[in-house]
Amino acid sequence: MVSPTLALFVRSKGPDEFWRKRRIFKLAAHFRGRKRNCYSIAVRYVHRALVYATKGRKLKKMDMAELWSRRVQAGCEQYGITLDTFKDTLTRNNILLNKKSLSDLAIWEPKSFETLVKLSRERAVVDSLPGLTERSVMNQVYGLANLKLDK
Amino acid sequence: MSNSHLFLKSGFPRAPLQNGLGRYVCQLQRVTLKFCKNHGASRGMREYIENHLVDFAKENPGVVVYVKPRRHRGPVLVGEYLNGDREWLYCRNASKDDISKWLELLKTQNGSSSSLRLRKMWHTDLPSIQGPWTPFTLRSPEANMVTYPNPSASRPLDVEQSATEKLVELFKKQRFADEALEEKRAE
Repeated sequence: MVSPTLALFVRSKGPDEFWRKRRIFKLAAHFRGRKRNCYSIAVRYVHRALVYATKGRKLKKMDMAELWSRRVQAGCEQYGITLDTFKDTLTRNNILLNKKSLSDLAIWEPKSFETLVKLSRERAVVDSLPGLTERSVMNQVYGLANLKLDK
Repeated sequence: MSNSHLFLKSGFPRAPLQNGLGRYVCQLQRVTLKFCKNHGASRGMREYIENHLVDFAKENPGVVVYVKPRRHRGPVLVGEYLNGDREWLYCRNASKDDISKWLELLKTQNGSSSSLRLRKMWHTDLPSIQGPWTPFTLRSPEANMVTYPNPSASRPLDVEQSATEKLVELFKKQRFADEALEEKRAE
């Protein structure tokens, strides 16, 4: 007679075990090594990956906002005005462009960006806001209007 | 990214070889309609084949239409494209209007849309109208003609008024004010 003890040691978690585990393995398809193929290892890393994904959604927005701010700051510092003053004067003049649009203008539409900066400089002078500096005339021309081209 | 497990290729919305700029070439090469003659899930497909398929084939002479009756299987639309892509659509229990809409999608696509992750939902060949910013945008060519050392270039950019200069200014203002007062008194 065959001993039933060995068979009793084999325990299945249930009929849906395969599909329950498959849900995890599908998310772990791009992992490396045993994290991809062994369930008890994969579960831990899949949970961590999902947590990172959740946190990353907020971080992505923060990163993009920081990138756009830095680009707009680079653009307006060329003209001797700080980012805070630039944004403040734009809101005072009811120009409610967001960081993304301002950075796109600064990169792709420099003349339009310059008009915004000129407007903000005038407003900053009128409202006597800090953050305006004089720029050296020797190595940079204040604006595209002063650019002389040989024609 | 949390969708890396899908192993999707990523790209941008593009028209292959500027399709449509001159002549428009329909990118759909052939479309196969598989259906069951008996089962209820293929009812919409059967209705479409009976009523609208011939018109579709006549309107699109560049698209080869195959009809495959397959027993005991669900209805399927398969579109094959000129770039080799293959789009497989399971349209079980779809109405004939749904199937005509899906066929319209297959006709207007330039490849399988589900196999590409679009990084941006737009594309321009001309992103800038005024010309993009370069390091030379705001630099005058006169800067090349400067000989160094140059006194005006050596001046610091922002010099705040020193305390002495402020006092001198205040003194001058006071003196002018005193003079004006004296003149008024004389009158």
